Amino acid sequence: MARPGFVLEVDDRTPPLLVHNGEGFLLERFPLGTRVVYPPEALPPVRDVDEAIQNALLNPIESEPLPELLSAGMRLTIAFDDISLPLPPMKKPDIRQRIIEAVLELAAQAGVDDVELISANALHRRLTPNELRDIVGERVFRSFFPDGKLYNFDAEDAANLTHLGQTKHGEDVEISKRAAESDLLVYVNVNLVAMDGGHKSTSIGLASYKSLKHHHNSHTMIHSRSFMDHKASKMHHSAWRMGEVLTQHVKVFQIETTLNNDIFGGPLEFLQKREWEWSIKDQASMLATKRALAAAPRKLRHRIFTDVRSNYGLTGVNAGKIEPVHDKTLENVHRQHLVEVQGQSDVAIMGVPFVGPYNVNSVMNPILAACMGLGYYFNSYRGNPIVRKDGAVILYHPVDYEFSQLHHPSYVDFFEEVLSESTDPATIEAKFEKQYAEDPWYIHLYRTSYAYHGVHPFYMWYWISHALDHCGDIVWVGANRKTVERMGFRSASTLQDALEMVSHSVGRSPSITYLHNPPHLLADVR
Amino acid sequence: MGAGLVKYSRETVRDVKQVARGWRWGRRPQVPRSAEPYVIPKETSVFPTKWARTPAAIAVRDFIQKVPLNAVLNFEVSPQVSGLDSLLKLDGPALIVANHSSHLDTPLLLLSLPDAIRRKTAFAAAADYFFDTWWRAAGSAIVFNTFPIERRGGKMSSTPGDLLADGWNVVVFPEGTRSPDGWVQRFRMGAAYLAVEHNVPVVPVGIKGSFAAMPRGRGWPVPGRPGVAVRYGDPLRPAEGESARDFAPRIAAAVSALLDEESTTWYEARRRAAIGASPSQTGPEAAHWRRVWESTRQLPSSTGKRRAWK
Repeated sequence: MARPGFVLEVDDRTPPLLVHNGEGFLLERFPLGTRVVYPPEALPPVRDVDEAIQNALLNPIESEPLPELLSAGMRLTIAFDDISLPLPPMKKPDIRQRIIEAVLELAAQAGVDDVELISANALHRRLTPNELRDIVGERVFRSFFPDGKLYNFDAEDAANLTHLGQTKHGEDVEISKRAAESDLLVYVNVNLVAMDGGHKSTSIGLASYKSLKHHHNSHTMIHSRSFMDHKASKMHHSAWRMGEVLTQHVKVFQIETTLNNDIFGGPLEFLQKREWEWSIKDQASMLATKRALAAAPRKLRHRIFTDVRSNYGLTGVNAGKIEPVHDKTLENVHRQHLVEVQGQSDVAIMGVPFVGPYNVNSVMNPILAACMGLGYYFNSYRGNPIVRKDGAVILYHPVDYEFSQLHHPSYVDFFEEVLSESTDPATIEAKFEKQYAEDPWYIHLYRTSYAYHGVHPFYMWYWISHALDHCGDIVWVGANRKTVERMGFRSASTLQDALEMVSHSVGRSPSITYLHNPPHLLADVR
Repeated sequence: MGAGLVKYSRETVRDVKQVARGWRWGRRPQVPRSAEPYVIPKETSVFPTKWARTPAAIAVRDFIQKVPLNAVLNFEVSPQVSGLDSLLKLDGPALIVANHSSHLDTPLLLLSLPDAIRRKTAFAAAADYFFDTWWRAAGSAIVFNTFPIERRGGKMSSTPGDLLADGWNVVVFPEGTRSPDGWVQRFRMGAAYLAVEHNVPVVPVGIKGSFAAMPRGRGWPVPGRPGVAVRYGDPLRPAEGESARDFAPRIAAAVSALLDEESTTWYEARRRAAIGASPSQTGPEAAHWRRVWESTRQLPSSTGKRRAWK
């Protein structure tokens, strides 16, 4: 039986608590009275995954069973979430592989010849063939990749985009031509957090810059409170409107999956256990891991973390019409992540881990670290932010000056050129976005190499605009001073120093909440 | 390189110290108060203690008890034992029942028993406390001949009955746990039930002064060789057809009378007991501190002058 999430109050009996700190972790003694939000324990997974998938496909919600939608001679497109989900990546077999295989099995029985599979990466980097194979599995890869029927979505390939129309708010809906012209679009999603899924899957995953800029902008993002609650998120409202237009033109069969919080296994299991319940073995593993990481060269350390693959149990798979499916999905996600928290606090503390959606098999550069902490974790709330208006956020991450030239070329320029001029999302947007979005070199790298689109770092910055607007102080513990300063934040050596630094705005004895994350949680702040 | 190694070693030592302190190595782990409702009760597994009653284990225990334990106990406290002649009235295994306010009670009781009885005596010990780790379980089994019982209700362990049947005396503290303030708490039914079920006599024992000498929370007796008194009473036998429910108050009353006797005289205590006026040993109805204050009043050390008939 999985125990529910709860809010711990640090007292004299509380051992030091684990805080994620980039490619490493540390033990921190929080001030007495600090609230620590623990997510529910991993929910029991479904017993028979294949049976659950079959059941979802044959008994979909508000839709005909999938076999009835398949016929010989039709155009079938299967789109799936890219490598940004789940985090950390999943142990093989990936849940998408199992679903896609089940869908293809039915398609084969129905005699469908024209099938294409698209990684819905929008403006994310292309996936390497190996990464594609890891997601869809060897069998699917071998059947489709050599013929060019399994590929990454290209948002800059004008010839292969279709403009489906505009929403009632005048937002352009432009998506993959293949998807738009298919008789059936099957979307295979991994709903790791409440933000994912629903209309966000197709209308964002398969959309071009022209379409994305309507909701990926500083104004929308600042009013998305939060991304994790689609009913209160302007970004999602826009995506939902686009979804309405899209579904008028394309028949979409949405398959959404939810995973449990079983993230770290084996010797790293202590990372997801409650500290006071650590056995001697857990304590020894923690000490051994911590000291080994301290002794390991940087590259090896990076390798160790890049190679982390998570167990993840499937907690549910639902298929059918987008909205009702997504409602079911959210129920499951909330069951796994939601923790009730009474009231906001003056200070929120978060440890930024080694991986975020945009640095799988890559490095977490300063902008991504900021996005992970202030974008994702800060927004991990429903109702009100965990920290009060003008409160302080304290983050843990080394924030090294480290970029992947392969994956994040525009990030380097964004960091050097744009952030040195301004850190205000609206100013940046007005002054620089167009230039980066249309830069032919970035577009070339996005289309032919493995680079994120030129505009992507802007999106990361918009992602944090709600936090920038809401918080009075943002301090990083143990971070590189120069990089942090460039982003407009401050760095402290220790938590005590950080609390000292923010004391002018929150006082000497602020209320503090630490989000114990990962595993993922969603604070339901009342 | 050298400096790096020194730094690394220092950090390693710091990390190990942090974990040792944070997770209370060598001591009982603690759960933060706010997390207590979410603790999953441990699955109870019965720790085998049969090995502790083999001739070899008895010989080892005899040595440990008679030499180091006895020396330490007499060095740290000054026990006064009385009423041992009551034990002469026993003709077989018995339940020995005492009030319980300190970890000292166990060695005190044990070492005050005549050797022949002591060697054949086992202690019922809380499974959740003494048997939570293998080393604590093995340690207490070899030194004190303990066996685990579940004090949080549930089904009764079958061991006490088996031991009585095998001719072992069994010591039970029917309060279930050490008194938080030194006064006698409510006696549970377990001892009476055992006595009735197995038809064995119950030897009541009153222990006074052990709370003052080493209360809850202390790991060693207070300095100054405090006096502690152990007083044995005449064995009680369940009457024909008497139920455990009726027998239990008689045991509690006997222990209370012994404690009363300890603070007055035998004759006064007998007279009061005869008219049912033995003073309650549950302590005054007063604030916690006053109860503790009263029960931590030290008994005179045995080195002092003893009164006659006391």
